[in-house]
Amino acid sequence: MKGVVYLLEHDFRNFFRYKWWLVGLISMNLADLFIMAIVYNRMLDPKLENQIQGYFKFFAPGLAVTGLFASAFMIGREINMERRREVHHYMLSLPMTRLELAIGRVLSGGLRGMLYMSPLLLTCFISLGFPNVWQFFLILAVLFLLAVGISGLSIAIAVSTSSLEKFITARGLVYYTLFFCSSVFYPLSLIQQLGRDGKFPMVLVTLAEVNPLSTASDMIRSFLIGPPFEFSFMSLVSVLIFSAIFTLGAAFAYMKIIERT
Amino acid sequence: MRLIWFASQIALFGLIASRMINVQEVPDYFRYYVAGLSVMTLYSAAIFIGFDIYEEAEHGVFEYLLSLPVSRRQLVLGRSIGGGLRAFIYVGPMIGISLYVIGAVNPLGFLVALFALFLFSFGVSGMSITIAVIIKSSDRFDILMGVLDALIVRLSTAMYPLAFVQAANPVYGGVASLNPVTFAADLFRWGTDIITLDNPLLPLLGVIIFFSVFTFVGIVIYDKRIEGGGWQ
Repeated sequence: MKGVVYLLEHDFRNFFRYKWWLVGLISMNLADLFIMAIVYNRMLDPKLENQIQGYFKFFAPGLAVTGLFASAFMIGREINMERRREVHHYMLSLPMTRLELAIGRVLSGGLRGMLYMSPLLLTCFISLGFPNVWQFFLILAVLFLLAVGISGLSIAIAVSTSSLEKFITARGLVYYTLFFCSSVFYPLSLIQQLGRDGKFPMVLVTLAEVNPLSTASDMIRSFLIGPPFEFSFMSLVSVLIFSAIFTLGAAFAYMKIIERT
Repeated sequence: MRLIWFASQIALFGLIASRMINVQEVPDYFRYYVAGLSVMTLYSAAIFIGFDIYEEAEHGVFEYLLSLPVSRRQLVLGRSIGGGLRAFIYVGPMIGISLYVIGAVNPLGFLVALFALFLFSFGVSGMSITIAVIIKSSDRFDILMGVLDALIVRLSTAMYPLAFVQAANPVYGGVASLNPVTFAADLFRWGTDIITLDNPLLPLLGVIIFFSVFTFVGIVIYDKRIEGGGWQ
């Protein structure tokens, strides 16, 4: 476990090297909420407005999840760079087991995501109201599982791609598909309706339904906004499955692939 | 990456968000959004020239450029126009996709809009160079551009009509009405028959002023700051 703690320290130091860049990123996220969402509030279809109680309220939880996703994904870029610059040989030479190394990287990616997301989540609570203690811990637990899963996903992509271009392309595809095929920016019912009308591929509708970003956003909404957003234990299971698959998959891929090159 | 972003913005966000918006002022939000997206992409592509300047300073190319038998002013003007043109060529295929999605256009109006986009692109490029040489720190530039990008795009009509920005907050509306992104987006939409403008000369004048300020004032600042090192 000591090895994992050292890795956490190493990755957090790297993360804080870009502190001003992070401040810029947070301000962009806040501009999305306090400018874009407020203007969209006035343009919303009245039927939808009644349903979701305004775009600002709807978008605030989605924004916290967006921030979590973007920051937890950052670890992949660092690991891809380490692989290209052959820093991974140094990492492999450290006095820790391969499993500690892999788990440490996945965990630090997730924890960095949680840290980045916290001011956005706080803004969401201030704007929408605070959940009760149990709801609060449940939100944190689900977001942590999601962050670790996202970190695993980005590490799996990072170690499977040999060049920066391939990594950036793969990242772009995953990033935007998961972002836009989710209920982060718009209600799931809207995507389902487009699918029923034959204007949106059913594969993408299904993806939006099982997307952990949708699950996490809608869970926070169910606690802070209430109906029509409902909390279900099945959504917890889906985030748990996502997290387990990508954490274990990334740990396995990290251990196997970096030894090969 | 930018192409993937652009395609997903159209095919996913634009399509779904257009179902969410229902206002008289924008009967077809999808076309409205796609046109704004082209201007947003042009803006972020033109900003990149500033990052190139830091890379040149880091690799010592700056000294080489200063040793060339061209005047400082020619050098700056060339960089500004080159940056704008490069961005335009880069975003050209995406604008082509937008035009295909938007549909038929009025040729004369479109030519005026295209001219405005050219000037806008040169102006953004000049602005990026000016800020880069004033700041002389790549980290600070990176942050400032990020914040500026967030504000300048969101406080414009790239994504929504001015009336709604004004209704949301009069300060936002004030900034948006003087924003060069607003001028470029409105002219592009006017040229592609998405919106009508009472007087298209006003946004055109706005783009020309923006271009002139950042190209010619940029030249003076660049001229003064180019030598002496101090790059971080």
